[in-house]
Amino acid sequence: MRISRRAFLRCCALASASLGLGPKELTDLEKALADPGAPSVLWLQGSGCSGCTISFLNYIAPSEPVDAAEVLIRSANLLYHPTLSAGAGEAVVAEVRKASNYILLVEGGVPTAFGGHACAPWSDGGREVPFLEAVRTLAEKARQVMCVGTCAAYGGISAMGANPAAVKSVSEAIGKSTINVSGCPPHPNWIVETLVPLLQGKAVTLDGRGRPVSLYGGRRMCDDCPFHGRGEARSLGERGRCMEALGCWGELGSAPCPTTQWNNRVNWCIAAGSPCLGCTDPTFPGTTSLLRQRGGGRGPGGGRGRGRGRG
Amino acid sequence: MPTVVTIDPVTRLEGHLRADVTVDAVDGKQQVIEARLSGTSFRGFETMLVGRDPSEAPHLTQRICGVCSVPHGVAAALALEKAAPSTIPENARVLRNLVLGANFIQSHILHFYQLSLLDYVGGPGMPPWEPQWNTDRRITGEDGARLVDHYKAALQAVRQTNEMAAVFAGRQPHSPAFVPGGFTNVPTMDQVAAFRKYGGIIADFLRRVYVPDVDFVAARYPEYNQLGRGYGSLLAFGGFPLDAAGKGLFFSGGRMTDGGKESQPMSFEAVTEQVTHSWYDNGAANRHPSNGATAAVYPKEGAYSWLKAPRYEGQPCETGPLARMTIGGHYRKGISVHDRHRARAAEALKIVETLPGWLDEIKPGEAVYSRYAVPAEAEAAGLTEAPRGALGHWLKIRQGKIAHYQVVTPTCWNASPRDDQHTPGPIEKALVGTPVADPQQPVEVLRVVHSFDPCLACAVHVCRPANTARAIVL
Repeated sequence: MRISRRAFLRCCALASASLGLGPKELTDLEKALADPGAPSVLWLQGSGCSGCTISFLNYIAPSEPVDAAEVLIRSANLLYHPTLSAGAGEAVVAEVRKASNYILLVEGGVPTAFGGHACAPWSDGGREVPFLEAVRTLAEKARQVMCVGTCAAYGGISAMGANPAAVKSVSEAIGKSTINVSGCPPHPNWIVETLVPLLQGKAVTLDGRGRPVSLYGGRRMCDDCPFHGRGEARSLGERGRCMEALGCWGELGSAPCPTTQWNNRVNWCIAAGSPCLGCTDPTFPGTTSLLRQRGGGRGPGGGRGRGRGRG
Repeated sequence: MPTVVTIDPVTRLEGHLRADVTVDAVDGKQQVIEARLSGTSFRGFETMLVGRDPSEAPHLTQRICGVCSVPHGVAAALALEKAAPSTIPENARVLRNLVLGANFIQSHILHFYQLSLLDYVGGPGMPPWEPQWNTDRRITGEDGARLVDHYKAALQAVRQTNEMAAVFAGRQPHSPAFVPGGFTNVPTMDQVAAFRKYGGIIADFLRRVYVPDVDFVAARYPEYNQLGRGYGSLLAFGGFPLDAAGKGLFFSGGRMTDGGKESQPMSFEAVTEQVTHSWYDNGAANRHPSNGATAAVYPKEGAYSWLKAPRYEGQPCETGPLARMTIGGHYRKGISVHDRHRARAAEALKIVETLPGWLDEIKPGEAVYSRYAVPAEAEAAGLTEAPRGALGHWLKIRQGKIAHYQVVTPTCWNASPRDDQHTPGPIEKALVGTPVADPQQPVEVLRVVHSFDPCLACAVHVCRPANTARAIVL
């Protein structure tokens, strides 16, 4: 009789009380049943704000994994995350150092000023390791490199304007294309629905910007926006009208926000009365304006890195 | 024989922090005799905003921090509205308070469970909760398992509190609804009802899980009711305006010195920046920061942090929930590691109990935005409170563009390095006297550092307290 791992675990959970299995034993059991060949995950943070991590923690879904805790307990063997890791100092650096067979997640851009010492995520053997070096070294051995958020994917706000820390996108910093789950922040579904298939060894088809086509591709936001064709807003604070005249990115941007909505569907940017700021785009936040200018996009340079994946 | 113990990275905080503590025997007990905290990442937000459309400041500055993006949106909007000057519709004032209040609660729950609890309790037995220093564990067995369950429940509560905020804010983190002139989301009755329902759910969690857990942990580790005191010097700018003029504040500003019984009004003129031990050009040290550009300098003799050292009348100050609640007269139990956790939980509860009254002030369907025109030339500040403490944005507009922007963040105060007089920052001081039983597993150091809830992305983005001849009237 074949029984899925999931079903078996459910039986174990039900039987655990009579078996005397506590929570620790159950999680150990789940770990043991995990595919030993599946890669682990290293999650690094460079120059950023941790908004992508907070967004990830907001994950909620009707099918497994149903929330962020379940992702971390059942789907991903997350060896290191600076915000979540219980250990500190040498204990976690040792985990990173000995990691093999992993997917590298990077949140935040890569500062390159001061020989990379504009950002030092840890010390190893008494030496502060520049983030630039850490990303390059770990990307070498990684099964995949996945950028979480626009800063890692393209430079984003972390690389805007004068950019005194000389922040670059991850792909610029490592000289290789990356899987770009862009957004400022990305929706938790986009993060999880890209990471979990990667952990299962599935291929992810990317668009010309390195973003998973199944999530970002294909449609103008306008095509799914409920305010399309519903009059024109001339000012902020008007309810339910198209905001193209206010500089909304819906026409050019491709992100599934009209269908995924945000925060368990309580609302989303356009429904909350704001024009879309195009935060998944390589040009975000633009050089002079977040908003779409009449006659086209907002030009290059806002996000420092190109970060173009090749799929 | 003194030993220097380095923790790099200090995990379970926002951003990048390194701690170097010197441990030696004092009266036969191994303890910290000196501490150095280093913010190990430089962002440079201030210079990056120059030349941009000022009206976009709330969007851009929210990306200073993804845990507490809302207060940056609020502070930027307030600064712009002082620059114009303009009044926002009442709906907008209330909506901002509701969303900011939800953001405080979200941050506080996350802080106790995801960032602090694992200093006292073993987590689920797998990465990222392993490896973990297995030392001084006084909460084990069923109690430990219950707290692990609460850690997972807290993740749900954090998600739900973010949803609560997003009901009006559109998205969390990084809401596009904060604009000069008010707010973008016109509230509906359904939204008011949804926010109210979330508030009830979160209030249950705070009362039945969070507040009791803080007390439970404190009871098992009683010495931390004395440890981590630091200077005992508290500062708040005040926030959550209760009326259109911003005269009444839900959290009042003020200053309380060590041993002080009453809080004194605070004055922004008393704030200075010092960079002797920070990787910035010394040439700016004696200039009014609002008039100078500070260049990053690395390496630099004597410097060890990307944070500057904000000082009030030359003195280091602690800011955060303990400061706010003490200055406001809502919490008077003391200043220590556990007092910070207790004050933070009490503050979350105080806010959640106030949200329904604010909701009652919302007028569904009515105006949230009054047209805002960016002035050609202006200087103004927007001061508020963020979950971690006092927050200020200073802005100069020239020819309709941002000419200068600076942000004073709470963690810049708390995690600051030594200043020009080589006086340690608040956390550096709070660490002195902390026992260290095992230099290989200095969990005691983590407990003190984490009690301040450091957020380094906020702190290292070049924070310079503004300096002006005018008093800031909130």
